[in-house]
This record gives sequence, C-alpha cells and structure tokens, in this order.
Amino acid sequence: MSKDMTIHLKYWKQAGPDAQGYFEEKTLNTVNEHMSFLEMLDVLNEELQLEGKDPVEFDYDCREGICGSCNLVINGQAHGPKEKVACCQLHMRNYKDGDHITIEPPKAGAFPIIKDLVVDRSAFDRIIEAGGYVSVKTGSAQEANSIPIEKEHSDLAFDYATCIGCGACVAACPNASASLFTGAKIAHLGKLPQGELERSKRVVAMVDQMKEEGFGDCSNFAECEAVCPVGISISAIAEMRKDYVKAVFS
Amino acid sequence: MPSIKQALSSQVGRKIMTGITGIGLMFFLIGHLAGNLSIFGTADAFNIYTKTLMDLGPLLYVIEAGLAFFFLYHTVLGVSIWLGRRKARPEGYNTYKSKGGPSHQNLASRSMIISGSIIFIFLVLHIIHFKFGADYTTMIDGEQARDLRRLVLEEFQKTWVVIGYVFVLLLAVLHLAHGFWSAFTSLGMKHGETSKKIQVTAYAFSIILMLGFIFIPLYIYFTGGEGSLISY
Amino acid sequence: MKLDGQIPDGPLEQKWSLHKKNMKLVAPNNRRKYEIIIVGTGLAGGAAAASLAEMGYKVKSFCIQDSARRAHSIAAQGGINAAKNYPNDGDSVWRLFYDTIKGGDYRSREANVYRLAEVANNIIDQAVAQGVPFAREYSGLLDNRSFGGAQVSRTFYARGQTGQQLLLGAYQAMMRQVQEGGVEYFPRHEMLEVVIIDGKARGIITRDLVSGEIVRHEADAVVLATGGYGNVFYLSTNAKNSNVTAAWRAHKKGAFFANPCYVQVHPTCIPVSGDYQSKLTLMSESLRNDGRVWVPKKKGDDRHPNDIPDEERYYYLEERYPSFGNLVPRDVASRNAKLVCDDGLGVGDTGLAVYLDFRDAIKRYGLETISAKYGNLFDMYHNIAGENPYEQPMKIYPAVHYTMGGLWVDYNLMTNVPGLFATGEANFSDHGANRLGASALMQGLSDGYFVLPATIGNYLADEEIGKRYGTDHKEFEKAAAEAQAQIDKLLSIKGKRTIVDFHRTLGKIVWDNIGIARNAEDLKKAIKEIQELREEFWSNVYVPGEKNNYNKYLEFAGRVADFFELAELMAKDALDRQESCGCHLREEYQSEEGEAIRNDEDFSYVAAWEYQGVNGELKEQLHKENLEFEFVELKQRSYK
Repeated sequence: MSKDMTIHLKYWKQAGPDAQGYFEEKTLNTVNEHMSFLEMLDVLNEELQLEGKDPVEFDYDCREGICGSCNLVINGQAHGPKEKVACCQLHMRNYKDGDHITIEPPKAGAFPIIKDLVVDRSAFDRIIEAGGYVSVKTGSAQEANSIPIEKEHSDLAFDYATCIGCGACVAACPNASASLFTGAKIAHLGKLPQGELERSKRVVAMVDQMKEEGFGDCSNFAECEAVCPVGISISAIAEMRKDYVKAVFS
Repeated sequence: MPSIKQALSSQVGRKIMTGITGIGLMFFLIGHLAGNLSIFGTADAFNIYTKTLMDLGPLLYVIEAGLAFFFLYHTVLGVSIWLGRRKARPEGYNTYKSKGGPSHQNLASRSMIISGSIIFIFLVLHIIHFKFGADYTTMIDGEQARDLRRLVLEEFQKTWVVIGYVFVLLLAVLHLAHGFWSAFTSLGMKHGETSKKIQVTAYAFSIILMLGFIFIPLYIYFTGGEGSLISY
Repeated sequence: MKLDGQIPDGPLEQKWSLHKKNMKLVAPNNRRKYEIIIVGTGLAGGAAAASLAEMGYKVKSFCIQDSARRAHSIAAQGGINAAKNYPNDGDSVWRLFYDTIKGGDYRSREANVYRLAEVANNIIDQAVAQGVPFAREYSGLLDNRSFGGAQVSRTFYARGQTGQQLLLGAYQAMMRQVQEGGVEYFPRHEMLEVVIIDGKARGIITRDLVSGEIVRHEADAVVLATGGYGNVFYLSTNAKNSNVTAAWRAHKKGAFFANPCYVQVHPTCIPVSGDYQSKLTLMSESLRNDGRVWVPKKKGDDRHPNDIPDEERYYYLEERYPSFGNLVPRDVASRNAKLVCDDGLGVGDTGLAVYLDFRDAIKRYGLETISAKYGNLFDMYHNIAGENPYEQPMKIYPAVHYTMGGLWVDYNLMTNVPGLFATGEANFSDHGANRLGASALMQGLSDGYFVLPATIGNYLADEEIGKRYGTDHKEFEKAAAEAQAQIDKLLSIKGKRTIVDFHRTLGKIVWDNIGIARNAEDLKKAIKEIQELREEFWSNVYVPGEKNNYNKYLEFAGRVADFFELAELMAKDALDRQESCGCHLREEYQSEEGEAIRNDEDFSYVAAWEYQGVNGELKEQLHKENLEFEFVELKQRSYK
C-alpha cells in the first residue's frame, strides 16, 4: 500500500453569479495515489462537513471521462497537467507529497458561475440547437447500409464526434473561444453524407450562435487541442472555416 | 446564405480576413526588402528604384491606398479580437499555464498584440522618417529626383535610430513567425504533419526576411554605407 | 388485484403490427394540444422527447444534469444489437428474440422481447441517418462484432463509445425540437413528486437545482425515463448522480415496482482500490471477444502474471463452458469470478480480482489490430490502474452495472397508474432476470423512438383535449408541500454522520447480502440492518448548506433516503424469489457445480410490489403477473 500524501489545496468559492469570489485553503493529509482528483475533493468535502463547514461545489457525474460534467482548471490548466484526460480520470499519482494545488472554475463570460466551481454551460446547448444535427425525423430513415461511407471518412467523423462538451477548450483559450467545440460538431456532420444537405445552413447558424453567446474569437493558439480530454484536433476549426467560406460563395 | 457583411463580421470571417491581409502584407514586405537591397547596388540604384516608384504617379496612390487598407484592416481586426477577449473573459485566472503539446501558445503568439502595436507605431514613425523626411534632390538621367539614399545613409549613422530599427525588426520576427503559420491555419490548413512543416517554414521565412531588413541599417552604421557592396 | 400486461392477441411475429393497427390515434392537428412531461434525457427520454415533438406533441423535458447530453447512457461502451444479419451468419429477429429471452432466463414477457428484437433494425437505420459514426468495413458498410450470450455477430458499435454516439444522436434530434419550440427544456431540474389527480398522472413537482425553487408542471401524461437504481450499492458503474428518486417517488404514489432484486453485476470492471473509491469503472464486455479470463491454478501464487506458464493457469470459463468460453453471459461470468475468488484463487492486493489477458490475441492479430479495436479502453485502464494492458493482463472484478427491475409497465409501457409511463432502464420490461450485452441501448432507443410514440397516443386519444386542472389544484398543493417538507426535514436534522458515510454503509450491506449471491439468512439480516441504518439516517444525518441555492449534498440526501427504502424492498423481493434465475442466485437453489436452478413451476412470475408505507419497516404488497410462454420452450439455460 502506498503511503498517504499531504496536499495543500486552494480553491475558488463564490456564492452565486454576482457574488464576489475568493479563495479558500485547506491541507489534506490522507491523499492516496490511487485516488482520482475528484475523489480527493470528495475527501475534502467530507472533512469540511465534519468541521461543520460548507463543502465546495463542483460538477461531476460519470467519473469515467465521458459525460463531460467535470471541468476544473487545476494549477492554471484545464483538467490538470495530464494530456487527454478529464479531471475525473486524473489520478493523484500525478502529484507528490507536499504539492500545492490551485483549483479554479472555467472562466468565461459565456459560462457564468453558478456556485464555487460550478458553471452554467447552457451556451453549448444553444450552439447545438442552432444547427448541430441532421434534420431527420424518427421513422423516416432509409436502410442503414444503403449509403456506403468510406471507412476513412467515417473514422474521421468519429474523431470529431467524440467531443464530450466539457468546455475545457473555452476554459483554456486565451480568448475564451468556443471554436473547437463548434468546429468539432460541424466537422463530424460535415464528414458524412448524411450531414451534406444542411452543411451551409448549419455552419452559418452555429458560427453566429457562438458569437451571440459571447465567446471570443479564435486566434489559432491551439491551446484547446492541448487541453481537450479526447484530443480533438484544431483541424475541426479548419473544417468549420472551409464550410463557412463555401457557404458564403454558394 | 450569409451576406458579405455578415460573413466579414462573423468570427470565421474576421479570422480569415486577418490571415488574408497578413499574407498580403508579407508579400509587400518581400517586395519592400527587394527594393531596399538596391541600396547596395551602384550609387544611383536606390534612387532609380525610388524614382521609378514615384513615376507611377496616380497608380502609386492606388497601391499606397491598398496597402494602407490592408494594414489598417489587419490592425483593426487584431485590436478588435484582442478587445473581444476581455469581454469574453471579464475575470481572468489567478494561475494560468499552457499545457504544451500541440499548443501554439508561446512568446510569439501571446505577444501578437504587443508586437503588432509596436510595429504599428514604428510604421507611422518610419513613414514620417523617410517618406516625409528631408527632401534632398539629385539628378537621375538628367531629371531631378529625390535623393532618398542620402537620407537613409545619414539616418542610419544615428545610433538610436539603428537600435530602434533593429529592435522593431526583431519583434517583427516574432509577429511574422506566428502570423505566417496562423494565416495558413485560418485559411483551412489542417493540424498535423504539414502544419509542423509550415511552422518551420514560418520561422525560416521571418528570420531570413528580417535579417535582410536588419542588415541594411547595421551595414550602413558600421561602414558608412558609401560605395557599393557589389563591385562592377 | 390482477395485473394485466395488455399483451395483444395474435401470433408472436404479428403482435406489434396488429397492435399498431388497432391502437387509437391522435390527429396531427390535435397533438399540439397535448402536453407530455418526460423526465430524463438519456436514450429512452431523449429519443422520446425528440420523436414526440416531431409528431407535434408539446413536450417538456427534464434532466438533473446541466445538459441533456450528459445522461448516463453516454457511458455505454460496447454496442447495440440488431438482427440485420449483415455478417450472413444466420441471424434473424427470431434468434435475437430467443437469445434475449433465454439470456433473461425466461423471466421476461415474450411479446415485449419480440417487439424489441423487431424494432432493433429500425434503430440502426435511424441512428445512421442522424450521423452516428458506427464502425465500418473497408467496403463502406457497417461492421458488426460479437458479444456475450450470442453465437452470431450482431453488435453495431462506435469504437468503445457507442452509448455516447447514440445519445448525442438523440440529444441533437431533441435540441432541434427545442429550437423549433416542440420541446421545452429544463436542465438542472430534479423530479421530486408525481401529481395524481382522479387516479391519473397529471404532472410533476420539480426542484430547480440552481435556485432551489419547487416548481409545478402540469401535463396530460408523464413519462419517467430516469434510468436504473444501481447506485443503491454506493459503488457501481453508474454515474454519481444516477438515482432511483423519480421512480421511487412514483412508486410511493401507487406505481408498482417490479423485480427489484434483478441486478446485473458486470463481470469486467476495474477492481476496488480503497475506501475513498467513489465509483467503479467498467471495461466493455467486448474485451472478452479477444481477452482470455484466468486465475493461477495455485492458491497464493504471487508470481508476476507473465511469469506463470500456461499449464499453471486456470482458464476457468473456457474449461467450464467450452461452447461459449469467455463469451458466456454476464451473470455466468460474474458468478464464476466470485467462485474462483471465494476459492482463494483471486489475484491482486485484495484477492478480489481475476486476469483478463490479451497476450494471445496480440500475438495472433498484432498490436495494431488490438489497439484499433480496444485502444481507448486500454488507455483508460492504463490511466486508472497504472498498469499497461498491452504488456500484462488486466485485473478485473465484477461490479454492479444495470438493474433489470424497475417500474412495472404493461405492453404499452404504462405503469398501473394511468397516464404514467416508464421507459428504458427505469422500467422492468424486457430483460427478465439478466440483460445481455448491447441490449440496453437497444431497449432504451426502441422504447424512445418507436414504442412509446405509438402507445402514448393510444392513451391520449381517450383523454379530453386541453383538460387542465391548474397547478393550484389541491393535489399539486399537496405534492409540492410533501416535496418541501422532506427537504426541510433533511436540513433540520443536523446530525453527526455525512450523507456519503450513510450511503457507503448502506451500499456495503446491499453488496454483501443482495449482491452476486444471496441466501435467506443474509437477506433477513440485511433487512434488519437496513432498517436500523435508515432510522439512524433520519436522526443523525448531516446535510450541509441551504435549500434556496445550488446544493448538491441536499440533492444526494433525498436520493439516499429513497435508496434506503428501495434496498429493503430488494431484500424482500430476493427473499420472496426462492429460486435462482439469471442474476439472482440464491445459494440454497444451485447445483453442486454452482449452476443456478430455476423453478418455473412456482416462480414464473413478475413480482410487482405495491407500496404501503414505512413505519420502521417497509410495508409492501406483492402482486404477481404470471409469465405465459406460448412460443418458446422453457429450458434450463446452458452455455456449456
């Protein structure tokens, strides 16, 4: 069995969207290397409650890196130091005894803080609502194998479709841009024949919505790709731009 | 489909236009350097070059206006994107760190607004300095022409001018290195192997270009610049 | 009370089409006058919300997550079954039906299961049309793989993220309807009560999880698509927020809860590492296609697994079940893992793990092929366990994964409360005592896209158009007051033990006694322990924070309170069922080799429980729905 570690935590507290936020600090002495980062926060919250204090709120659900609920900014990095993992899958073996860890919520005007580390990401829903779908009604689909799709295209579409909607891209982008999230959906549907008919309409509506929500412009920092827990490439943004230009000239 | 106005004001349109104007300005820089290098030709070469430009007459104004438009458009977009990030993230992080890996966050990309602003100020001064500087005259093929060469040689004898130019030109290496790669990315280049090659090319291009520019003031400063580099 | 499953007459193959022919319809111009509440946005709820709104109904959709896209269907890895027979290996709707009913150990309704097998093909068509990027072959056509409990390849998959891709398809279809105004969307809302007026479900009470406000919603019908109750075990592969609250509160209002003891324990999960553990991570069953399960033959063999030669390895599934080998159904695989570990052959620090080894598959197909098939799962394992499965075998152990039990529904997916429907994992209907792999996605989407949209019209057609009682009706008042009272009660206790502490302790009681193997003595003991702990919970729990604010621990407190009652019902149900079937293994009813012995004579029924109150003890009345098998012959299941 591994020996317990001491970890010094500093985390963001904020009562509501308009309240003044501040940092709170606490040292944990029983952190185990097999714990996930969120399990360590569970331990923190158990200790806080036993001391009669309010726990720190953070979003989570599946804890296996697929639901996209968790989205902490850990020591200035969305989802923490490890590449291609969500922070629910970040294990404490990545830290050492005595480490200091600062935890902040993703910060963006389009993601207002609800409480502590919990933010409102409904802007993402509205971007999908604007056009992130194929308009096929239930029951009207043709035989699944009637349209062959080149395996390479289908695989590439999957790579883009794998976005978990966590918002790390926005959190890490110096401009708080949602281009990777939006581009990923556009690229996913754009790679498939099913998405072809609405290609132009989709890209224009989604790109407009992204601006409407108050996300910043993309400056090609590619930080979004670096923090993406499923490793979506900024090539998605290139696909989005290409589709947009085609839409302008169509 | 979207109107041109809607397209140009969209986040995609803005970024593509930043890229297009950026690439346009890079072409201008190549031409500018080629022209400048004539200062190393015969005693009259540089003035012949400037005279040829002046002789274009109204066409020159059109070119200048176009150039100014590209430059201002590029600047306005850059500043507006930078201002936009303030709005998109009203409150920043206490701690912020790039994750590295595929990220292109580096000194060059993070300082675009600073390098860009300094280049902007430099450019205004540069135009005042030379375009509207002392109007010496000389004779070329029996016609009176402006002796810009004399002005250049004089100015680059001044230590602070040379230091200023070299400093700005080094900053421009940074601006161009990210700008070159970013422009291609904005115009639809995929991230991957080609992207890496373009990044290398971007650095090579900006370093070579700027060394060319830097060479001029330094050479003149240290040699007086009289006489031609090229012997006939 | 006699439970009527409303199963249509006619030959098995025609029941659904005849039923569709005979059902009443609501005319397109009238549909917008009917409002339907759908709680939950997973495959069943999301698909239903999209489909019903497309038809023209007014839908109100609720979920506890911050976005409909995060419902726990997202985490399903392996795939979805359909009898397309693309691989030409002899598959048919009948065979899918038969495998499913046999896999469920003959404890499900023939008619429901046949319908499921029948509409499965339409699901694949629908998903492909939505842009779901299923795996394809070089021909550009869809690829299939095999899964436990079947001898054909009929599982469609999108790498190890099939649930995610199917859910995003349903979510996107639903968001399209949100934009078009057909769906009113309420994320971060938790249903706390069903409102029943004149015997019919007429609305729900929710808590806005951001503001804490108690909100009333009226409608013509209520659909619960709220998933399973696996989190009663505290540790399970479910998401942390998955809960039984919506279903249980409906149960307390009169909806029968069926077969609560049928809980599937998934054989391939990452073993527990410590007390702080908050959940268990599943490794897709598809891994058993190529991985070989074994333990050392010698007790306490602490050599590195790679140093143990083949002749000293016990490939227990291959030896005991030669025809299915590593692909036996989940219940069989889980039980055998427990048996070898009980015999002291388990591996790892705790002795509660077995090896899942890819050495031979990598040798046969090459690293690249294996990586293309399972790359993300291998990476996930490597990340969590800190060991590289390309170089040494994975350690796995069973964990609670899926609950076959749920709200009792008839063939139309309506509970015994008129106007209250339950779909997906929240109902009990299609999987009997054990669910086969890749069938949960099939059932959720079948219910959501095809079954409910057809059957709900049959109910609504008899309802008065535009009938509204108003949310100030006394039943709404009463339900809202009940919801509020419980919240106030929980916050007022201010005890000494945390919610997580109670939940963890409850989970251990349930796992130890109502887990992979059960017996009468343990079950009776568990009931007593649950009652005692529940008493303590209501007097000694500490719930932090306030009610008029975002307060996750307050949400949990309400859910754990419901788990306490459910847990007791599970034990009662397990005690009542004096046979072994599917996932329900009663130690008293097994052969000497540890094989389950079913008792069709006495237990071929659905146990539907009616809530009668809690007073120290949970009071429930049992109703039996007899299962009639007209078309299949009941056999002792054998995978030998």
